[in-house]
Amino acid sequence: MTPPSPGERPSAAGGPATDAELIARAQAGDVAAFESLSGAYADRLFMLLLRLLGDRGEAEDVAQEVMLRAWRGIGGFRGRSSYFTWLYRIAVNEANRALEKRARRTAGASLGPDELQLPAPAAEEPSRQAEASELRMVLAQALAELPPPLRTAIVLRDVEGLSTQEAAEIAGVGQAAFKSRLHQARMRVRDAIGDQVLASAGG
Amino acid sequence: MGGVMSRAREHRWSQAHLSHYVEGDLGPLARRRLDRHARDCVDCGRGIRAMRALVYALGGLGGPAGVRAPATIFARVGPAGSDGSAAPFAR
Repeated sequence: MTPPSPGERPSAAGGPATDAELIARAQAGDVAAFESLSGAYADRLFMLLLRLLGDRGEAEDVAQEVMLRAWRGIGGFRGRSSYFTWLYRIAVNEANRALEKRARRTAGASLGPDELQLPAPAAEEPSRQAEASELRMVLAQALAELPPPLRTAIVLRDVEGLSTQEAAEIAGVGQAAFKSRLHQARMRVRDAIGDQVLASAGG
Repeated sequence: MGGVMSRAREHRWSQAHLSHYVEGDLGPLARRRLDRHARDCVDCGRGIRAMRALVYALGGLGGPAGVRAPATIFARVGPAGSDGSAAPFAR
């Protein structure tokens, strides 16, 4: 999956502004340019935070913190990665920071699986919809119970559909370490759900 | 006896590498090793299908269409930030 393409955003020349133009304007202190640039990724970033944190209120707070940190840090953005990757990396770091804080407050507390559930795709037959809904519920529960580094790996690679290279960069680890986390995460989720359920869900 | 132990070892190894198999992370020799074992092992054959189904199901958990970022996401961003922070650069 590739990052979403930004919507129509006016440039000085009259056409839609590119990320590079918006970055340059944001680096010069243009708040509107920063909001236009980052706003293109806001929904997806918020979804990522919901998946990693499992709490809507906390995800909203962290999303604000991510944007604040991105705004403060954009002067140092050098374009070695895409803006999307850079922003997502800030989001993962902030989510991990929030999870660490939470762990100190409530040792051993897990995420709320209800918050991790995602909207059902439309236009499925009722019976298939019920099965899919049940599978989403057990997947959400299994993801919620993973340790944060494993949850981050499986969400970035399998849920978000990012390449291993991009996901590893966002997670802040090398590709070998990232793959090790991903495989561990999948094995744990598979163990939690069971081959019978998964194999039948796969048709 | 040796055959049973060897089969048990191959089973443990195959079960531990199902995700690598599905991800395409096994080299040709390792892939053939798992293929050979899975041909005669119902559990590992089902395990491969389950791992593929898991990756497929995770990819279908839904996209941003159903969830919108809160309108307040940029509330703290600004020339001086609503939290009183300074802008990141001099103008």
